[in-house]
Amino acid sequence: MIKANGLTKRYGGRTRRPGRTGRTGTPVGTGKTVVDDLTFTVEPGAVTGFLGPNGAGKSTTMRMIMGLDAPTAGHVTVGDRAYAAHPAPLHEVGGLLEARAVHPGRTAHHHLMALAHTHGIPGSRVEHVLGLTGLTDVAGNRVKGFSLGMGQRLGIAAALLGDPATVILDEPVNGLDPEGVLWIRNLLKSLAAEGRTVFVSSHLMSETALTADRLIIIGRGRLLAETTVADFVRDSGVTAMKVVSPGARTLASLLAGPGVEIAPGAASDELDVRGVDGAYIGRIAAAHAVPLYELTPRTASLEQAFMDLTRDEVEYQAGTTHDAPTGAAA
Amino acid sequence: MSTTQTVPARVSPAPVHRLGVTPARVLRSEWHKFWTLRSTWVTLSGSSLLILATGLAVAISHEPAGAGPEEVGDPVVLTLLGIQFGQIILTVLGVLFTAGEYSTGMIRASLSAVPRRLPVLWAKAAVFAAVTLVTGLITTFATFLLAQPFLADTDMGASLADPGVAGAVAGTALSLTLLGVLGLGLGALLRSVPGAVGAFFAGVVIMPEVLSAVPSDAVKEAVSYFPARAAQSLGAVQHQAGSPSDPAALLTLCLWALAALGTAGWLLKRRDV
Repeated sequence: MIKANGLTKRYGGRTRRPGRTGRTGTPVGTGKTVVDDLTFTVEPGAVTGFLGPNGAGKSTTMRMIMGLDAPTAGHVTVGDRAYAAHPAPLHEVGGLLEARAVHPGRTAHHHLMALAHTHGIPGSRVEHVLGLTGLTDVAGNRVKGFSLGMGQRLGIAAALLGDPATVILDEPVNGLDPEGVLWIRNLLKSLAAEGRTVFVSSHLMSETALTADRLIIIGRGRLLAETTVADFVRDSGVTAMKVVSPGARTLASLLAGPGVEIAPGAASDELDVRGVDGAYIGRIAAAHAVPLYELTPRTASLEQAFMDLTRDEVEYQAGTTHDAPTGAAA
Repeated sequence: MSTTQTVPARVSPAPVHRLGVTPARVLRSEWHKFWTLRSTWVTLSGSSLLILATGLAVAISHEPAGAGPEEVGDPVVLTLLGIQFGQIILTVLGVLFTAGEYSTGMIRASLSAVPRRLPVLWAKAAVFAAVTLVTGLITTFATFLLAQPFLADTDMGASLADPGVAGAVAGTALSLTLLGVLGLGLGALLRSVPGAVGAFFAGVVIMPEVLSAVPSDAVKEAVSYFPARAAQSLGAVQHQAGSPSDPAALLTLCLWALAALGTAGWLLKRRDV
């Protein structure tokens, strides 16, 4: 269980409010709020997707959960207390924050062993997570020669090392081949099925919808939605009707009315109608003897709904005059 | 989501003994990290071999000076001339041990495992100091003993039994260690390998040379308490006028190393990773 309460990270501001661990934010660059008053709860026993466009503050939020960055304001707890206050942090939380939090000159086995020693985790557990992530054969190789996917697997092995109650993964499918992506999906589901809290960030709605049960969506550091995938699909189901008719123009004028959006389709005899359902269109067409060749409901894709939600919150928008801030945010 | 769904108990393949971070375990972890990098073996053996080889070369090629006793050099400084190279290599090792974690990203894994952070720094300093002190003592005594037979009948002949000689040989190893710890602290402080090595050269190696050119006794006196000068007097049998006594030099070096470590620790607690 992760609980964030008014979590805020500001760079460059002079607000030096001590965080829960008594540390203060380090001013960097010009004043910029990367995470803005985030309050959310991540429940155990489910996969929670953490979504937002690039630069929305997902990674910064995750670093604050792991105690690597100090919040400027607010606090976040894992289990029942701040991450650093746990006597065995790796047993509470396993995190994959950046794929390469590894010294490239050390072998995979020694990397995990060094982390295991801090908690008194036995070598058998290191072998276990190496097997779990399919790295047994390369455990004796130096990480330097690992592919992006292998590095990602090693990061996940490190995250699972302490048999953690909470697993936090930042964009875990990045750089993985299709087989690796499938493996991650199944792993996340099985971790949640074991009763663990699973918190996974992504900037892809379509990928997240395949694994996640719950969603936390942020944009520009602010909470946009805290919902379930099912609710998100229902609420954002902006359904359009594709209408193909030789009398498209006539039909358009017949359907026009308050709350009805009509756009020309790809072909000249095609219409894209929103705001009325198929039954209504069919009745109108029949009443006026307009032949219908096609009447198809088209549910907007999840990706589209996600983009609609975050449109105004995208940090670096391509091809617009949006004054994108220059500060780097992750 | 309803919380009434059945949540199966976590399958725990973890052992029965208690997991948790203790200072001894962090020490064990840093010990493991230290020895599982090739650079450790290369730098440690490299510095020892260079000290030994330089000592032997200097001893064999030494021309007995015909001059009076006033111009006679220092037998320990002469045989351990290679310390100049060894010092640089060991300092780089110290820097790599801390700053190397930042350049590779390893620090995020290290501090996630030990979120209280400070034990990591203390453990690194302890492992580094213990290993370099033992290596340094073996290297300096071996070099002195192997080089001295070539100098037996010259003005540079000396024995460990001579007053101050054993102390100077041990002092050389001690200063090797303490300057290395200073480098380790700089590495943790600056979080950059080139930055910390550069700072060590500029601040520790070059600055006292520049400052000693200032024609002021007060400045000269102050400079003799700079790390490199304190290390010099700790490693010499014969003391130059105005240089600190051995205990004072040792204390000075310890304080420099502790100051670097302390500042690094203070910042480690405060900065984001």
